[in-house]
Amino acid sequence: MPITRLSLFNRIWAIMMKDGICEFRTRYAVSALLMFALISLASISMAIGAARLPEDLTAALLWILLFFCAMAGLSRVFVQEQESGTILALQIYGSGQAVLFGKLLFNTFMLLTLTVLIIPLFIVFLNIEIYHWSIFLLVLILGDIGIAAASTVTAAMVAKTQGKHALFTVMTFPILLPQFLSSISTTAKILMNVKPDVSDIMFMAAYNVVLMIASSILFDYLWYD
Amino acid sequence: MYRDISVNLVDVSKKIGTRYLFTGINLVINAGQCLAITGPNGSGKSTLLKIIAGLNQPTTGAIQIISNNKQLDAEERRGSLGLISPEIILYADLTGYENILFFTRLCGIECNQQMIEEYCRRVGLANDKEQLVRTYSTGMRQRLKFALMLAIQPGLWLLDEPSSNLDADGKKLIAQMIGRGLEQNATIIIATNEPWEAEHADYKIELV
Repeated sequence: MPITRLSLFNRIWAIMMKDGICEFRTRYAVSALLMFALISLASISMAIGAARLPEDLTAALLWILLFFCAMAGLSRVFVQEQESGTILALQIYGSGQAVLFGKLLFNTFMLLTLTVLIIPLFIVFLNIEIYHWSIFLLVLILGDIGIAAASTVTAAMVAKTQGKHALFTVMTFPILLPQFLSSISTTAKILMNVKPDVSDIMFMAAYNVVLMIASSILFDYLWYD
Repeated sequence: MYRDISVNLVDVSKKIGTRYLFTGINLVINAGQCLAITGPNGSGKSTLLKIIAGLNQPTTGAIQIISNNKQLDAEERRGSLGLISPEIILYADLTGYENILFFTRLCGIECNQQMIEEYCRRVGLANDKEQLVRTYSTGMRQRLKFALMLAIQPGLWLLDEPSSNLDADGKKLIAQMIGRGLEQNATIIIATNEPWEAEHADYKIELV
């Protein structure tokens, strides 16, 4: 039968859709992310009571929450493949770049969905006011992409190791630190009703691009060697 | 016709711990030819297949996969072969149909519904293709791997114990598929202990 060749984008999309369908049917990662987020939010809310936190502390709490939610669920994209034994079939039939960017897209989608769900709760529980919504959303999107990019490549690195869950957090954090600090300071400015500089946003976007290029170069070694 | 692939094993050896599984394997297998690797359990049959697939590195020597007089790099090599092995596990949370659709797309091949139904029919899974793979028996999973092989149409077939877990009908089907694959120019390497599977072979390597 005649064969129609698909582009790299179609292959990336196939990986993302496969992960989406498997996740929809099992809900392992969604449950882990959501439960962690809700328990953390409830704990913070009960701990501070009716007190109003300083804006920089509120911003730090938001990004710490998102970071640890990611650590609770995003490693599954590779760890699950390793534990269920499907990684070998994926290695035989999938090109490194398609697998990396397919998994990255899926993780980004998961984290953005989680962010959409927890931001209203965060605003209500911590009694905060957002002054520059469009910039705030942009910072959230860029920060989530950064967390997803760093955690996807480190998940691939730790998937075959012992003690992978602890190692995943330990390896992701230093890679993400510049982006993490920038997300916190930019969010703090927004909460203080100070419009962030364009350079803050540009730094976050540029860091994501560098992360993705570095991941793309590194991943072929992980996948083929 | 399948893509023209030849496999060149150059002084290949593999050492695990202090023991050599095999040493000094030199062989050229051309398109349309079959190599059977036999030997007792633990002799290194599956390891040699994995080395040819590029999933494992030899201790010494090299594997050259050549297509149209060009040696394929790691990515091209993976794109030109199909591996059927007990270690290949398909997605339990996808249906048989979805597994084939996913893996063909991953290989960059667009398969329509009719094509996938035809591949499933050929391996006897026509009525089970919409079931989740987690509900399949081990024999059905093995048949699904062959349906995937038909869909991907690789030039190089690496078959590790291909008839394991199959009933008499399944074994007959696999024998027919191997025969047809060789007629259509596929290069086939089989690791087996079944004498009938080695019948197709032009070359044999017996590991000890």
